[in-house]
Amino acid sequence: MGKLTIRFMKQGTGPKQGLPINVAFIDKRDVEASGKNVDEAIQAVSKVVGGPVGINVFDMDAVTTTSDGLVVEGAIVTMAAGDLGKVHREFGILHMEEIQVTSELIKEEHLTQWKKYYEGRKLYRGPNPNKKLIPVHNVCITGKAVNNNSATEMMNAVTMEEILLPILGQLQIMKDGPIVFGLTGEVISVGIGMTVAEKYGRVFPSRQFRAGDTAHGCGEYAKTLKCDIPCIVVPKSVLAKCIIQALDADMVPWLHIGCSPAVLAVAIARGNEVAIDNITEKAKLELKSVGFDVDKLKPAKVAMNDEEIIERADEIIPGVVEPVMYDSSKIVTRMTLSI
Amino acid sequence: MKLMHTSLPEFKLKLQSAVIKQSPNKSLEIKGIENLKHAKMQSLRTGRIEFAIQEIAEDRDIEKVEVVILPRVPETMHTVIIKGVGKDGTSKKAIIESINIIHPTEEVVLADVKEVDDRRPLIGRH
Repeated sequence: MGKLTIRFMKQGTGPKQGLPINVAFIDKRDVEASGKNVDEAIQAVSKVVGGPVGINVFDMDAVTTTSDGLVVEGAIVTMAAGDLGKVHREFGILHMEEIQVTSELIKEEHLTQWKKYYEGRKLYRGPNPNKKLIPVHNVCITGKAVNNNSATEMMNAVTMEEILLPILGQLQIMKDGPIVFGLTGEVISVGIGMTVAEKYGRVFPSRQFRAGDTAHGCGEYAKTLKCDIPCIVVPKSVLAKCIIQALDADMVPWLHIGCSPAVLAVAIARGNEVAIDNITEKAKLELKSVGFDVDKLKPAKVAMNDEEIIERADEIIPGVVEPVMYDSSKIVTRMTLSI
Repeated sequence: MKLMHTSLPEFKLKLQSAVIKQSPNKSLEIKGIENLKHAKMQSLRTGRIEFAIQEIAEDRDIEKVEVVILPRVPETMHTVIIKGVGKDGTSKKAIIESINIIHPTEEVVLADVKEVDDRRPLIGRH
């Protein structure tokens, strides 16, 4: 019998109504140390939890991309959903695809960042659609538990409550760092639609919505689509560092990386070039609805330096309503299971 | 006019008959296809469902048989037609959109069941 250590957050944890389902994060290295395989580890977690649970397995040596195209350390390699001690036979587990980073892929995407900072590291985003039994979205479902969009949204399909878990917030938990618990609000609702075109993306399996475009494409309605949803995100100072790192790899917002309000705010404060001519009318409309009028954009009169941007990130980067900063150890329990 | 084999009304009647055959005092409730008005139901599985209903209903302790029909694939993709209808009842314009719906899986319905016999074939096999 092996031992498996997991990071566990109980349903209801966090401010207000808290998490809508239980959440368990597993480090791939801990699965290997347990002597079991990933699927066996997931089954064991569901059995111990008993109720609805979203389960994500991480490779912290690999890299991934955020929805707006920042390349960051740590990746989800498997997602799962469990309920009543079970994991659905057909729709309970999905494995992400290791993406071979070729020179062709680097040319087509925002992966110059990988080349500059993480060459040789494995890259994971979403699953390979050709390996799915049925072409469902990147979602796992067992009973009430839903783990959606390659493990960045978890829901209770019966109570219909949800938590948004952008990848950077999850990685903070895996690194035992501070996190921000809050409500998404209109800015995040718009921002998460400002994606980049990717092969095997976390949300879209093929290159659908390029930098400068919006996946939402619904004007003023975009800011209402995912507002008022509880979310766990990265502190803005850490997000600022990630954006600065991408800008330092010559990533131009709206040309190479997405035009989310966060990326835009840092680029303007820093005096970076922004590809205004590459933005679509649909994306312009959505940004305008949350206070960013692209036609009146001006770079900061005096560019701020990186230290200043990181220090003042909370005032520079918009988004997250009623944020509460937590040390992740306050909401995460380290549990050791016998499997 | 002869209806196709296993039309929706015929399907419902067959399920009802399978219960009544055991006892006219036992009842049947079908859940999950309330919105379905026109459909051809799979014949081969209809026979097996009748057989399963009979097996459940013949138990003396059972008073009521519930038949719950859920999407086997818990994320279903639907066509959405947004239609503008004029005063004279004719449709002037329609926009066709798409929406995916995520449903809870069978565990939710089976939570309090003591014994489960899963006779479904693997997905992709009939």
